[in-house]
Parts: sequence; structure tokens; C-alpha cells
Amino acid sequence: MDRHHVIIIGAGIVGVSCAHQLIQRGSRVTLIEAGPGPGVQGATAAGMGHIVVNDGEPEILKLCLRGREMWRQLLDENVGDRGYWNTGTLWLAEDEEQMHGLEGARDRLHSAGVDSHTVQASELFDLEPALNRDLAGGLRIPHDGVVYAPKVTARLLSQTTEVESRFGTRVTRVGDGLVTLEDGTEMKADAVVIASGISLLDNLAGEEDSPWKQNLKILPREGHLAITARGTGILRHHVVEAGYQKGAHGVVEEAVACAILPRPTDQLCLGSSRRPGRAGAVDPGVLKKVIDRCERFVPGVRRLPILRSWTGARAATMDGKPLIGPVPGWNRTWLVGGFEGLGITQAPAAAELLAQRIHAETCTLDAGPWDPGRMPALSAGGRSD
Amino acid sequence: MTKAVRITVDGASLLAQEGQSLTAALMMAGVSAIRKSPTGEARGALCAMGSCHECRATVDGVRGVRTCLVPVKEGLRVEREMKLPRLPLESSPGGEGGDAPQIIETGLAVIGAGPAGLAAACVAAELGMKVVIIDESMGPGGRIWSHRHDPPLAARSWLERAREAGVLKLQGYSVFSGQAGVLDVARVTDGKRVRIQCQSMVVATGARERFLPFPGWTLPGVVGAGALQSLIKGGLNIAGRRVLVAGTGPLLLAVARLAKESGAEVILAEQSSLVDRSRLAIPLLLSPSRWKPARQLLKALGGIERYSSSWVTEARGGPALKEVVLRTPAGDRVLEVDGLAIGYGLIPETRIAAGLGCEVETTGTVRVDSLQQTSVPGIFCAGEPTGIAGCEAAIDEGMVAGIAAAGKTPKASLLARVRRHRFWGQALEDAHPLREELGKLARDSEILCRCEDVTVGEVSEISSIREARLIHRVGMGPCQGRVCESAAHCQSLSGSDTIRPPWTVVPGENQDMSSAL
Repeated sequence: MDRHHVIIIGAGIVGVSCAHQLIQRGSRVTLIEAGPGPGVQGATAAGMGHIVVNDGEPEILKLCLRGREMWRQLLDENVGDRGYWNTGTLWLAEDEEQMHGLEGARDRLHSAGVDSHTVQASELFDLEPALNRDLAGGLRIPHDGVVYAPKVTARLLSQTTEVESRFGTRVTRVGDGLVTLEDGTEMKADAVVIASGISLLDNLAGEEDSPWKQNLKILPREGHLAITARGTGILRHHVVEAGYQKGAHGVVEEAVACAILPRPTDQLCLGSSRRPGRAGAVDPGVLKKVIDRCERFVPGVRRLPILRSWTGARAATMDGKPLIGPVPGWNRTWLVGGFEGLGITQAPAAAELLAQRIHAETCTLDAGPWDPGRMPALSAGGRSD
Repeated sequence: MTKAVRITVDGASLLAQEGQSLTAALMMAGVSAIRKSPTGEARGALCAMGSCHECRATVDGVRGVRTCLVPVKEGLRVEREMKLPRLPLESSPGGEGGDAPQIIETGLAVIGAGPAGLAAACVAAELGMKVVIIDESMGPGGRIWSHRHDPPLAARSWLERAREAGVLKLQGYSVFSGQAGVLDVARVTDGKRVRIQCQSMVVATGARERFLPFPGWTLPGVVGAGALQSLIKGGLNIAGRRVLVAGTGPLLLAVARLAKESGAEVILAEQSSLVDRSRLAIPLLLSPSRWKPARQLLKALGGIERYSSSWVTEARGGPALKEVVLRTPAGDRVLEVDGLAIGYGLIPETRIAAGLGCEVETTGTVRVDSLQQTSVPGIFCAGEPTGIAGCEAAIDEGMVAGIAAAGKTPKASLLARVRRHRFWGQALEDAHPLREELGKLARDSEILCRCEDVTVGEVSEISSIREARLIHRVGMGPCQGRVCESAAHCQSLSGSDTIRPPWTVVPGENQDMSSAL
């Protein structure tokens, strides 16, 4: 019998993580990517690269935690080019109410076994002297970190031997276990994994009006980021305002929140913004709001020279949870995407879960919450191909 | 007369001349290593025109200032390798909104005060438009007419006309963001923001030098050919020094002449062959206005050591430049020199035009129609960004752009001249083809991206600009790729980079806070 063959569409951090997991399980992997190489398109290329354990729903927390654990096993902070850095996350409260919220988060994190501790206002400045003096306190999650996703993705792929990579190759149609390329080539496989970020559902075969298609949507949410010149690394932690969560969960409106990520290159990555839509041209007005918001928490940020700015798009879903599992009603085509801002954190865990499902192994995490068939209207009318 | 003033460099006091370029003052004081690269190499000025950012330092407490654009004044404080000072612990004034930028409303905004920009500004202002001209160097005139005391003869009438027509000058400001109708600019020295609202624009951003990496090209003391010109005009005294001017193109001749007239012992090496350059004979014959200057130039270059079909294969030294290996038809020669000025022709500076959304041709020039109108209505482009053709072409194109921006129709004779200039520009380029060997000079261990210290070897196996940028960090420093992208190693990659704000890296906002501390 031929070896189990998987086609993965998308060589971002998620697709490459899937390749890594599937190769370990003995699959033969073909990786198809429209861009010129691994890790240089989409959210992998544009994202900040934070690895954060989010205090959201318990299931999301588990996925983040497993992702972080796997990254920490996979990456070594002391490897030459420092693609990974254990910065820890410092959530910042502007007032007592937010501080109270962070205390609640701490308790929930503790009960999930996540190391975290609150930091009183008076101690905040020993930890991060560059912070504004009027903050109410913070929550420190010491084992969070940062990856430079393009490099980490490229490296992970180069370490994953035997993957057949096809770059600069566009997919025009995906059926159940079937892939059609731009040049008309049809490919068949035991499994097809779609890991193409915001384009996740774009090429799926099937009638547009089928109920599952109506309800399974990827909502792109644009973000703006900027990076400062070298020599400006005035922070040790990834600092994020407590209000970030609020902005992250709104799907429709525009939101700006302070999120500053120190890079190992002695630079600061300044974010963040969210608004519906794909990544467009940099809007100087939004960029200014982002930097002004950062200034609120780290005074002086505005005086730092900015080298570049860019936009990217996060792939959100209707219920705020990623899609990891088969296309509803299909057996051979699998989705992995819709991570919103947590794709880099969750990539290894999602890849593991998907590989376990494809190989019918016992799953490390519960697969149910992520199954694309969970969307309400889908249960009514499935499909058979 | 120049006035001697005191400046401090890393706390040590030294004498300089008022109005001198700060880079020139530092080099005069023996400080040719102005910064350290990420891997700790000493680096000094390369382009001396604000493109490469290699000369950046902290000046009067402001980080990342390009010292080549700063005129010396009494009491200037320069810090090289300075750690970021403790930032103020309260938000800066103006709260979250920051200080609102000063707003200037105008009819026409001209970007660049070289020949094209000045001509456009003058004619538009004389036709009744309100005109603002923005330029990032120390004084108007662009590179060719840059001066410290008396402007060159050719520039004088334009400068006079600009003054009389009431053209408002924003000298020492960089345009870093904008769109049709709005430009955001920042002062080079302290990042002060000004917003310009205008009805139309002329982009006259000139050209920058093409640099090709070779062993030793990052040594302090190796500068661009045009850079040496700017540094001399900016007050660098090279009398008695031995300087090799190398590379390609007519700019080398002008630089060699200036260096010679400034008292240096000049050696000139042109990579193109005599056969290549003989292609210029007919176009020159057809261009009577260029006869006299050409004759004068050749006369002025009499007596200097000259090499043809010769190019630099290596610069040696450390920390400063000591000797250069020149490959000549007669074999390699090792020349002991105090300085190397090397440039491989000019590249149209199209970034601001591209940032404004103007279409750029695959040849690297901004697409314009016969009225210098770009693909964006209301945005005109003149001079080198539309194709390297020299000063006369820039003036004429600038005039056309200024007249068109003012809603008038240029005379047919002027338009015909512009067409002839294009022919001349093409002839110049054809006469100086770059030889293939130049693309292979840098070995794998050589630096390709000077900002991020990426070596040639690191990008040897990739195929696209995106990989070079995102994975290997090529062009991710403050020059934004202006220096490295012309290297053969980058030219062979597929794709291109998008231009996003800031179009030029400028100091951050609200710098006055630091001086108040």
C-alpha cells in the first residue's frame, strides 16, 4: 500500500506545524503555497509573534497552554539568531476596576495551572521602569514569549525532512480529498489540510447557498503595526493593556489597544488595532492612534524613530474559536484556521490535534470545541459527497 | 567667512566651522567611524545625502539623526553609541493626541529643492500659485548645486527667482507620509512635524547613488562618489590627501575635478571601456550646449592619474581605510589611499512618488506624460525620478511640471527640449554599461545589508525579496533597502517591496521633551 499522503495548503506557521506533526506520524506530505517561500505571507509574516496564554474561555486557554508548552520544547532561547525569546507578558491595568479584572484572571489562570502573579503599582516600575507612573498594577505571566514567526517557520520547515514543497503554486479548488491547481493539475490525497489563513474557505467546492457555507465564515480583521529602530529596547516584557481583551473580542467595530512587544533585536514592535477587513494600505490615522495609545502606557514611545509600519489581517470566526477538523460532511479535507490573534501561540497544538484526528489517534486535547461542524445551523443539514 | 565653533562628541570638545555639515566636521576631527553596526563593526558615512543612514548619531539628545544633513552650530552635542536615555515617566504634552502638527496650506507642494524642484517652484509661483518647497538637506540646490557660501552660478538665478516669487522653503525637512493633497513632514534635526495641505504636488526627489558591495566596502573612509562631492562642499578639507574616485558615469569626472581643485591628489578609475564611452560621441555632437562644459571638465582633469576599464575589487584597512586593490587591464594594482569615493551611477529616487501611489515603471522610473503628470491626478514628477538625464533635463522637466501644475500649457519648444534630454540620458546610460564582474565581487562572508549586517551568503539560496526581507532581514534597517537593493544579489530576486510610511525614517515626535529634562 502507498504511504498515507497529505496535501497541506498554506506554508504559514500553521501549515508548516501541520507538516511537522504529520511527517512525525509517517505521512508523506506535499506542501502547497502561493507565496515564494515558507512563513512570508499572511499573518505569519505580519503578526507580532507573541506566545500568550490568554485568560479567555477555558478551552481556548487549554489550546494556548498546549501551544506554548510545545513551543517551549521546540525552541531554544539561546539559539544563535534568537528566533524565540522568553519575555513573559505583563498585562497592565489603568484603574482599580481593571486591576480587579486582572486578579480574577490570575485566579482562573492558577486553577488552570498557569504560573502568573499580580504586580502592585509600586512594584511595576522595578519590573519595567519605562512604564507610566499612574498605572494601577499588572498581571505577569512569566512563561509567555515571542517568536519571530517568519524565521521560526522557515527553520521548522527546513528541519522537517521529506516534505515536498511547492512554492508559487496557487490552489483554485478544493474538494473532498481533491485539490485543483491554477494550471489545472488535479491532485488526490488521503487527506487535504487547508491552512491558508484568511483564505481558508475561499476555494472550497460546493454550492454557495449550502447552509454550512453560510455559517462557516472567516472574518478578516485588519491590524496595524510599527517597529522602532534598534537601540530602543526599553522593555523586557511584552506589555499589553488589560483593555486589549475587550478590543480583541469585538468583531465589528474599530479598536485600538496598547500592545508593545520587545524584539530580541533591541527594537519594539508597537500595536495594536483591529477593524473588519483584509490588510490594506497603512492608514496613517490608525497608526497614529496605535502609537498614541502606546504612549499612554510607555511614555516616550512617540519619540522613538519608527523604521517601518505594516498591516496584516487576522482570521476570526463567528464564535471566536478556531476551526480544527474536517469540513462538515467531508472525510478527507480538513480545516485548520480562524485563530484570530492567537495563531502563532496555538499553531503547534492545533497541528498536533489535527494530526491526531487525521491519524485517528487519541487526542491530547478535546477536539469537540474546534470541530467546524459545531456551528449551529450546520447540525440541521449536513452534506454528503 | 566661516566662524569656528565648539561642538562636543561623546563629551569631548572639538572645533568645527559653523554651517559645515556635521559629518564633514566629524571626519575632519578624525571621527570617521560614526556608529557601530549590529555585529559591532565601525561604520561611517556612505552616501552623505540622507539615504543610507550610516552616519546617524544622537544629536542634541535626538536619536537617529543623519549627521550629513545637520549644519554645525555652536554647542552641538553629538553622541555616538548612546544608550537610550531614561524616557520621561509621564505622557508627553497634548495627552494621547500629542502635539498637533503645524499646518501649512498651499497651492503647490514641491518635494526636493534641486534643479527640477526649484524650476517647478519658480515657474508655478511666478504664474501666481502659492508654493511650498520641502527639502531635507542643509540648503537648497540639491546635490549638484549644494553649497555652503556662494551658490554656483547656474543656481543663483533660480534661488533669486524663488525668493522674489515668494516660494516658502521648508529646508531640513523630510517627507515621510502623505497622499494626494496632504504631506506629512518632519524636521531632520528634531522630528518636529508639519502637515502640508495642497492642491497639487511636484515630486522632484532626484536620484541616489548605486552602491555595489565588494570586499571592504563597509570600512569607514569608503564613501559614495557623489558623497565625496557633498562632503567637500559641506566643509570636508581633503587638501593633500590621496583619493581614489572610482565606479562609473559622468559624476566621477565632476567629483574628481572638485577633489583636485580642493587640493587632493586624485586617482580616477572608470569601469566602462573607452569603446563603451565612445558611444557618447554622436549624442554629444548633437548637443552643442554640452560642448563647453565637457571641454572645461576634461581640461580640469588634465594631469591626474586615470584608469579606464578598471574597477575596485577590494578595500583594505581597519578600522579605517588604508589601501585599495584596483583591477586594471594591466593587472591588479594596490593603491595606498586616504579615501575611496565609489559610485556606480545613479538610481531614480522614486520612493516618495511610489508612496503617493504614482505608478513606477519596471525600469524603475516614475511614469509621466508629456506634461510630467504622474498616474495620480494632481501629482507631477520631474527630474531624475522620471529617468536619469542630468541637470539641464531636470530644469526643463521642472519647468514643464510647474507650468502644468499652475494649469497652463508649456511651450512646444520646451516640450521638445525635454524629449531631447531623454535621448541624452539614454545615451549616457548606454555609454556606461556595468560589467558583470561587478556583481560577483562580494564573497559570501561580505556584508550585503549594512543596516542589519546580513551577509551575501545568507541570501544565496532564496528566490524572492519577501524571503530576503522577512526571513533574513535584508533592508529592514533605517535605509529601508536604499543601499542594498541595487546589489546584484537583490536584483536577481523576484517580487518587490511595498512602500509604506514612514517613507524615510525620521526622528520620533515631541523631541522637545528631552531638551527640557
